[in-house]
Amino acid sequence: MGSVIEVQHLSKSFGNHEVLRDIDFSVNKGEVICIIGSSGSGKSTLLRCINLLEKPSGGQIIYRGENILDEKHDIHAYRKKLGMVFQQFNLFNNHNALNNCMVGQVKVLKRSKEDAEKIALKYLKVVGMDHYVNAKPKQLSGGQKQRVAIARALSMEPDVMLFDEPTSALDPEMVGEVLKVMKELASTGLTMLIVTHEMEFAKEVADRVVFMDKGVIAEEGPPEQIFNNPREERTKTFLKRTLS
Amino acid sequence: MSIEYIISMITNNWPMFLRGAGMTLLISIIGTIFGAVIGLLAGVIRTIPKPERKMKRILLKVVNLILSAYIEFFRGTPMIVQAMVIFYGSALAFGIDMDRTTAAIFIVSINTGAYMAEIVRGGVISIDKGQFEAAQAIGMNHVQTMWSVVLPQVIRNILPATGNQFIINIKDTSVLNVIGVTELYFQAKTVAGISFKYFEPFFIACILYFVMTFTVTLILRYIERRLDGPENYSMIGQPPPQLMLPRNNANID
Ligand SMILES: Nc1ncnc2c1ncn2[C@@H]1O[C@H](COP(=O)(O)OP(=O)(O)OP(=O)(O)O)[C@@H](O)[C@H]1O
Ligand SMILES: [Mg+2]
Repeated sequence: MGSVIEVQHLSKSFGNHEVLRDIDFSVNKGEVICIIGSSGSGKSTLLRCINLLEKPSGGQIIYRGENILDEKHDIHAYRKKLGMVFQQFNLFNNHNALNNCMVGQVKVLKRSKEDAEKIALKYLKVVGMDHYVNAKPKQLSGGQKQRVAIARALSMEPDVMLFDEPTSALDPEMVGEVLKVMKELASTGLTMLIVTHEMEFAKEVADRVVFMDKGVIAEEGPPEQIFNNPREERTKTFLKRTLS
Repeated sequence: MSIEYIISMITNNWPMFLRGAGMTLLISIIGTIFGAVIGLLAGVIRTIPKPERKMKRILLKVVNLILSAYIEFFRGTPMIVQAMVIFYGSALAFGIDMDRTTAAIFIVSINTGAYMAEIVRGGVISIDKGQFEAAQAIGMNHVQTMWSVVLPQVIRNILPATGNQFIINIKDTSVLNVIGVTELYFQAKTVAGISFKYFEPFFIACILYFVMTFTVTLILRYIERRLDGPENYSMIGQPPPQLMLPRNNANID
């Protein structure tokens, strides 16, 4: 069994607005999955349900054989196994770049300050931000903030990394630096689940592409299938609209 | 009355004025600190998200109700009246003979706490939701999120309001003369009683109040600037050129 996370019959409603319906899919170890789909199709909600920032209305999420929606399951212990990168970066404003990458390690993983600093520096280097350890978030550009945010998530050495449109809030000239880092990460065998509007990027790095439409998974498959020979009419329409 | 008279009044009575100013400062400093702590605790409790478990939810609701009652009551009644009720009431109801200074600090603390609780709650609400989510996403619980991420930002943001409260406290301790606390106003009144002069002792008190409040203002401004840190950060080593010029390397394929 190679699946790290298995989502079964997941549904989510806000009030009487059904946003996700009967979602079934799994994330395998070492896989890079890109989730695409039009605005409002429920991509972010799916990602947020997976790390329980939103409470699913129904269905199950199985993490390494355990149902994490079970009342008795420790949410915090589960969340520290997942790294999350937000569209709006959400760096801790009161900490500099280094501390952003250390505070979770020290408080949640109970690592010593020395170990945490070593690990933080290692990942800040991976994202090319090791020269900026002293900078506060407000002193960094969008692309730099997002790279520190990626380092913060990596410093927790998670099982799976979740990315919710990591480049959508960036100026065009900064998109490249973030995608470059993500490509490098993808090549290291890290398990990644990425919501993105960058189709070229998805084509290049994804092992599997999931196309969402109106709260359901309309089609999923390898990038060659989705981008070159989509089976569903909805996929074709979406791609025609976005790629033109 | 003349400048000379005021000077002679100071030279004759300076220990009284000084002790009065000292007492005023003592009560308002300790009262503001205790009040800020009460306010932080109350404000944090009032922003705890609704728990999943039913028992915890009910407990939280009860605690919130008590806190609301406390805040509304102390914000809604004059401190001078509270002082009388608490000081004489404690003697009457429980037979406690409160030390006047202790009573004064107690009254200023709970009063400040009531105001600060609302200031803190506003401060917590104004923190971007993304800060909470990012903390939760790396596995922090509510206490860790508050302690490491939210409260440091809240404290920075409410510092001006806290300073304001401190200044109000310096001035408002004067009402505590009604329970015989020997603060600055009480001392000025005593000097007036002895000398049968009214303008001069209160004029001196006035100057002393202003010196205290203005000093506090200056100190707080300094602390704010210190907390904000330097405008610039120092680079560790030299970044590789492509990171300084992301424009030139934006196209990767
Ligand atoms: N907290 C919320 N309360 C109510 N409705 C919500 C909430 N969050 C999302 N929705 C609704 O759920 C639907 C799906 O939203 P979601 O953010 O998951 O879409 P998305 O696919 O990520 O879109 P985008 O590409 O614009 O980010 C939308 O119709 C949105 O209005
Ligand atoms: Mg979204």
